[in-house]
Amino acid sequence: MTFPIGAIPGIGAAIGTGGVAGIDSTAAVNGTGAAGGDAFSSILASSFDQLAATQANADGLAAQAATGDLKDVHDYMIARNEASLATEMVVGIKNAAVSAFTEIMRMPI
Amino acid sequence: MAIFDTFGISGSGLMTHRKWLDAVSDNIANVNTVRRTDEDAFQQRMVVAEAIEYGTGEGGVRVARAEFGNAEGRLVYQPDHPLADEAGYVKYPDIDLGDQMSQMIMAQRGYQANLAVVERATEAYKAALQLGKG
Repeated sequence: MTFPIGAIPGIGAAIGTGGVAGIDSTAAVNGTGAAGGDAFSSILASSFDQLAATQANADGLAAQAATGDLKDVHDYMIARNEASLATEMVVGIKNAAVSAFTEIMRMPI
Repeated sequence: MAIFDTFGISGSGLMTHRKWLDAVSDNIANVNTVRRTDEDAFQQRMVVAEAIEYGTGEGGVRVARAEFGNAEGRLVYQPDHPLADEAGYVKYPDIDLGDQMSQMIMAQRGYQANLAVVERATEAYKAALQLGKG
């Protein structure tokens, strides 16, 4: 059980926190599996938090646009753009992790 | 602003050019604002852009301050004007409409260029997210 979860952090960390963190995480993959399992879940949780913050920002600007308080039109358009990209990215990470897991579960023993 | 930095940077460029457009529209709106000769003329509004150094972790640009143009204005002989002095002069702002029009074009093009960057960055990020899906 420790091995499949340990193999995933490399994917999550490389996409989640940028290039420098991605280089570090390759060492973690080669290291202990149990610690890696914690890292992946925390990376996923933090990227979900970030996604929620991005979407909340876009929602706030949408409310401002509706009430007429919005100062810059492009602020809302950019925030919406960013929220949609972040959603796409987090869903992509989730899909990659799930497909890796199912691939391993399908492995004949 | 950790992953999609380009949006924040381009957003600051959009904001700066929007403020420049605001200043130009203010100048054009007041191009015929007449004052008495003993008052200051309407002063041309100018925005001063300042780069946000990339070493601080965020790039982009901001409007550092607004500068005001010549308060002397130019004296025009209009004896029928209700604000004219004894000699028949009123004070018009010292704003060149042609200069304002060219500034407006520059501000508009700058705004559009920043929008184009946002569009291209979105396309690029989307293409990156498609990586490995095929």
